[in-house]
Amino acid sequence: MIWGAEAQEPATIEEAQDMLREAYSARRTVAFAGGGTRLGLGARPKGVQTVLSSKGLTKILEYAHSDQVVVAESGVTLSQLQAELGKNGQRLAIDPPQPEKQTLGGIIASNAFGPLRARYGSVRDLIIGVVIVRIDGVRAKGGGKVVKTVAGFDLPKLMCGSLGTLGFIAHAIFRVHPSPEATSTLTSAGLSHAEVNAACAAMRAQQLEPVALLASRTGPGKFDLSVRFEGFKRGVEQQATKASAIARLAPADDQVWTAHAAVLCGGPVRVKISTLPTALAKADAAFPQGKLDFYPLLGLGFVTGDLTAETLSAARAALSPGHVVVEEGTLDAWGPAPAAIALHKAMKNRFDPQGLIAPGRFIGGI
Amino acid sequence: MQTSTGAQEGLGHQQKPPVPVPQELLAELRKIVGEANCIHESSQLRTYESDGYATFRATPGVVVLPATTEEVSLSVKAAAKYGLPVVPRGAGTGLSGGATPVPGCVLIGLSRMRKILEINLEDGYLLVQPGVINLDVSKVLAPKGYYYAPDPSSQSVCTIGGNVAENSGGAHCLKYGFTVNHVLGLRMVLHDGTIVDLGGPTLDAPGYDLTGVVVGSEGLLGVVTEVYLKALRKPEATRTFFATFPTTKEAGDAVSMIIAAGILPAAIEMMDTLAIIAAKAATGLDWPEPGAALLMDVDGPLDEVEHTAKHAGELAKKAGCIELMLPKDENERQLMWKGRKSAFAAVGRISRNYIVQDGTIPRSEIGRVLGEIARLSTEFGLRVANVFHAGDGNLHPLVLFDARVPGEEKKADALAGEILRICLRAGGSITGEHGVGVEKALYMGEMFTNDDLDTMAKLRCAFDPANRFNPGKVFPTPRLCGDRPGLYKAHPTELSGQAERT
Repeated sequence: MIWGAEAQEPATIEEAQDMLREAYSARRTVAFAGGGTRLGLGARPKGVQTVLSSKGLTKILEYAHSDQVVVAESGVTLSQLQAELGKNGQRLAIDPPQPEKQTLGGIIASNAFGPLRARYGSVRDLIIGVVIVRIDGVRAKGGGKVVKTVAGFDLPKLMCGSLGTLGFIAHAIFRVHPSPEATSTLTSAGLSHAEVNAACAAMRAQQLEPVALLASRTGPGKFDLSVRFEGFKRGVEQQATKASAIARLAPADDQVWTAHAAVLCGGPVRVKISTLPTALAKADAAFPQGKLDFYPLLGLGFVTGDLTAETLSAARAALSPGHVVVEEGTLDAWGPAPAAIALHKAMKNRFDPQGLIAPGRFIGGI
Repeated sequence: MQTSTGAQEGLGHQQKPPVPVPQELLAELRKIVGEANCIHESSQLRTYESDGYATFRATPGVVVLPATTEEVSLSVKAAAKYGLPVVPRGAGTGLSGGATPVPGCVLIGLSRMRKILEINLEDGYLLVQPGVINLDVSKVLAPKGYYYAPDPSSQSVCTIGGNVAENSGGAHCLKYGFTVNHVLGLRMVLHDGTIVDLGGPTLDAPGYDLTGVVVGSEGLLGVVTEVYLKALRKPEATRTFFATFPTTKEAGDAVSMIIAAGILPAAIEMMDTLAIIAAKAATGLDWPEPGAALLMDVDGPLDEVEHTAKHAGELAKKAGCIELMLPKDENERQLMWKGRKSAFAAVGRISRNYIVQDGTIPRSEIGRVLGEIARLSTEFGLRVANVFHAGDGNLHPLVLFDARVPGEEKKADALAGEILRICLRAGGSITGEHGVGVEKALYMGEMFTNDDLDTMAKLRCAFDPANRFNPGKVFPTPRLCGDRPGLYKAHPTELSGQAERT
């Protein structure tokens, strides 16, 4: 049971079309699910009668390794995909937590990401095509099977972060990258906000190109800074050597990234902060309690713990014009609707005019 | 290439007389943007009758050159009041007719909105108006050691607004991505004059990724008036080589081997003999005239780049490279790139007229597809020069012809169309970076199903239910939004199982 409804698991896109066509003609409300790791995102959808799960859609349909493009069904887990790509020394350059559970469809719909986002962007930057099933059962594709195409409107990007409120993602096409030959992590403990920002500035000044950078709060105003370099061995070694002259960074093992992954799916309340990259101090002050992990190259952070509604609304005010969204927990998921809410609503109305898909889950009651 | 819109005029054909806009509207627009920035004399309007795709021409009813978002908004409102279509225009360098006027339309030129409003390098962004020239962004950032990554060949003249409309690429998008990967947010004017802000300098604004949707929408969703761009730190080192090969096959093999080795070049470009001859004519470069050449950039941290450049050079030799030329300094490197970037214009030196195509194919198909293009070239009796982004399979075949020879333009159109079909059959796209515009609208129906296009139309209708902006572009047939958003309704025969949609 998901959201109080029985989950149906189509084994083919045609079955998914049939199920939606049926729900649509009977005016039944539906919601979509993948691996079920991020159902807490958004507000709880109201009165869901049918859940369509991508669990039965587990085929990797095409993998042209020399073209660095892969086409897969939406229920394929990230681990399953990475295992296949790994055979050719390639990977999808995205690293959200729980890859053995997270499905491609879920990653797209929930805009799931991990620290690699600093170098490779989020799923919107890696997806090149999509096949969706609309609420009326019609299947439609956008993008294509080549990395570079600008033909037609960008349906793939429209799906990214849409929390499944516009249609069911059936297939996805991604560009993939070569797996790095070498990787190296360095950390430095007990840095202040200013020291974290200075370390970032120093790395930029020295033209270092970290693939990930993480500031993890260990005490009031104190952060452990971790940086990861990837690439060919010589380049990684050179960068690690240069970095070790910055902010007492010293070689470390990968444990820090495992600990960070736990924060990315932690609770009982978890929020995502987006602010300016240099606004670590503001984020720290806005959420003085709980665990805080922050990406200083992106301005994105995650807070977990027993956060209260008061803390949340004060933080929203303090971090504006940035954003705070609740990923886990029963607090107000979105906060005030954005100024362009009418446009978001218009989009929803065009794709789901009866409001049958996950009612109320998205911003502004969409 | 397209052969069936009302706006079409052949090269050198007589123009239809312009459709004037109502006097009242003219008066309103003058008040909004000022007399000097409201162009309505028919001789002056001719300047705007096409963009870089000159096969189709049409005269706008009036051209306004607003200076602020508010002036854009008021102009759109005025056009809406009179029910006239609105066509936004940047520098007019587009190659697919995205800025071709609709006869009698209100054309909004953004050339006066060329301020850089904010630069914040610590947080990695800048805010610019749409009329800012692409290269000027990098120029203003250069003293600080930063740059703006997307680098279309027209970057010294094209504008950021046009780049946003077309999701422009360039040689270096292989590693760095397209315009959409570098736009953080934007301000735009909608069909009724409403001004909205989408995205911004902070990531992941709650809601749909409307910024991502607007970039590349070819001016069909609204008029963008401010853009947040990512500013990137310059890489520590760049290594470039120019490698010659007996034929495009060996050059294509080299590309495949380099990519298979896990190297992600910043750019890897291929030119065939005709394109090389043209580039030489334009730049005076002392290049040989082999069957094919590759121009490659790798960039990043010094040791990484030394390693990958060396390895890529070895692979090129293994693939049959004749000569590997390394630039002796930055000047020579810039000249090599100038040769590549001026290739389109350079073709003008060896042919009176030409059509540029922009299809994309899977990289592994390059050799086979180039063979097919060569075969078609012989069959049609027209020369085709090839210069393209080999790393991501984005071809730019240039079909050379002489419009003075009766029937040759038509033949060139047909040949260019066949090339697009080859790309589609190879699993590719009709356009990698130039956009659909009017030029390739008819081919959309060959790449996408009716249902796909219908779904894209929903997206458009969400922004612009009146289809006020840039009508006649992208979609092969008009798709009205209707009072209520229409959804597919099953035909009775489908429900009864007698028929099904495929």
